[in-house]
Amino acid sequence: MEKRRVRAVAVLFFLVPVSVFAACLFGAYDTSVAQVYDVFKSAILGGVESSESSLSYIVTDLRLSRVCLSFLVGMSLAVAGTVYQGILRNPLADPFTLGVSSGAAFGASLAIFSGSTVLGAGLWLKFGSLFLPLAALAGAMAALGAVLMLGRIGGTLRRETMVLAGIVVATFLSALISLLKSLDEDSVTSIVFWIMGSFQGRGWEHVTLFLPYFIAGMIPIIYYSRELDILSLGETQARHLGMDVSRVRLFLLVGSGLLTGAAVAVSGIIGFVGLIVPHLVRMFQGAEHRPLLLSSSLLGGLLLVWSDVIARSLLPGGEELPVGVVTALLGGPFFCIVLRGGFRGARS
Amino acid sequence: MFLKSFFLLLVIIPVNSAFAEISVIDDFGDKVVLKSPAKRIVALYGAFNEILFAMDLDDRIVARTAGDDYPAQIIKLPSIGTHMRPNSELIVALNPDLVLQMAGRSQAKTALEPLKERGIPTAMFKVTSFEDLYSLIWKIGTLTGEPKRAEKLVHSMIGRLDKVKNKYSKIKDKPEVFFEIRYPNLLAAGQGSIVSDIIVKAGGDNCVDNPKKIVRMGEEELLRLNPENYVYQSGRMNQSPVVPSDRAHFKMIKAVRSGKVLKVDESVFSRPGPRNVDAVETLADFLYNKN
Repeated sequence: MEKRRVRAVAVLFFLVPVSVFAACLFGAYDTSVAQVYDVFKSAILGGVESSESSLSYIVTDLRLSRVCLSFLVGMSLAVAGTVYQGILRNPLADPFTLGVSSGAAFGASLAIFSGSTVLGAGLWLKFGSLFLPLAALAGAMAALGAVLMLGRIGGTLRRETMVLAGIVVATFLSALISLLKSLDEDSVTSIVFWIMGSFQGRGWEHVTLFLPYFIAGMIPIIYYSRELDILSLGETQARHLGMDVSRVRLFLLVGSGLLTGAAVAVSGIIGFVGLIVPHLVRMFQGAEHRPLLLSSSLLGGLLLVWSDVIARSLLPGGEELPVGVVTALLGGPFFCIVLRGGFRGARS
Repeated sequence: MFLKSFFLLLVIIPVNSAFAEISVIDDFGDKVVLKSPAKRIVALYGAFNEILFAMDLDDRIVARTAGDDYPAQIIKLPSIGTHMRPNSELIVALNPDLVLQMAGRSQAKTALEPLKERGIPTAMFKVTSFEDLYSLIWKIGTLTGEPKRAEKLVHSMIGRLDKVKNKYSKIKDKPEVFFEIRYPNLLAAGQGSIVSDIIVKAGGDNCVDNPKKIVRMGEEELLRLNPENYVYQSGRMNQSPVVPSDRAHFKMIKAVRSGKVLKVDESVFSRPGPRNVDAVETLADFLYNKN
């Protein structure tokens, strides 16, 4: 297992830079490998290429920023999924279990809806294209806070109450989103498309918006990654080993909540990555959390980078698919195959 | 094109007088038969009301949709719900003798079903060009028993468009125009929309070469097209749009760099009606006068 694990991580680490470069080759604009290579070279070596040239703009500002953002979002979703599955000891848990995504979706819907009001129009003008992700982020954080408060009813943070609180908050917020949709029919398509998840039109400003939450979310998860192993033994066992279960759980939940909330805020809701990537990695290299988190994050990032490449290059004429649709279409069948193979391997 | 429409009129009039009843084939091949000229018209889409107003037939309109606010007088009329979800109970209560609907979404026809069941005459139209618009106006003229007013309106529209044509008749290279329907989640007007015909009539060339009415598009495709002129609408589809020069990725577009950006009113450009001629004039001014 140890050797296999090292090999898997080495392969993933090798694939990251290769994928980042290769993913920059795809798009509506015709670019050759040599051209993209030149842009990368001059960007890294600080060449004197003028920023006016649209080729270097397309490669660095349109494609590379998207690739970086999708990689970070994929990492976050896979890590958050791993953490939730570990804490809640539930194989069905994904980054959206706790309703954070519904919070973000409600924030974004409210922002879209408010475009027709005087106040909303003012905010749109003030924040420009960042108004939507900022509103989604606020919604995600509010939902996370609400779930944590609800989950603490009775003093401690219990597994069952957490899941229930998540479901209640998510259902209530979905109802509010439906209310907004039925009040303003013109914004329905905008809301629906936002919720389906996409990296279309995202740029470096979204990476900048995302990065602080990514770091703040990763710190507690890395710090408490060993405790995740203990937690997955069960609450009583963890307590007997002298762990402050409530505290560790809270930090881990806040960490993964930050990751999920920020990810959804910049990209919309992208399903399947956070659910299947941890399972896949567990099949190959076991359930120990530190290597699991590392491999999951890399695989999640890679999966989303390539899903986004498909999303933006599958349709002709520069039309794009929502990336959330691509991940679900790829993820479902692929997971079925791996699941069958995995079981066969376990039996023999 | 004018001749064709005129010919259509000549065909319709004798039929009417011969059978003393009014009949028109709508844009979906259904025959609409009225015993007498329509006096109580309910339009499920505001464009019809605009046309009726332009023909001085506003006394025939008995209701409006919730979103209608042009011309201003229409606000006094009762609302029959939204364009997307009209309330058939309210419509029936108004006792209309003709209900007009615009095709577009698949549900457009379903909204008419309960009305047809009650024997209320309905007609559905599809307008993606000025040609269609003239034909619609002729048909409304027939249905209201006022073909002369239809003729007058179509005449004045054609006359104004011909005047615009003089501006660019000698120019061979038509300037490229990109028309934004919505942003974020960029939607562009394709060749199959009335907007595309407005661009052509204003002496421009819609650079989105897609037969669809509405085209979804990534920013990279927009940069590839790199249009010389960028027109974006403001209205119900595109509420409080951010100025293109303030958007990520838009600064590289030729039009944004040279300042050839125009903000227009959605209801004048995207809604088929007599105001589309204003749209052509506005756009032609932008393309040819302010260089």
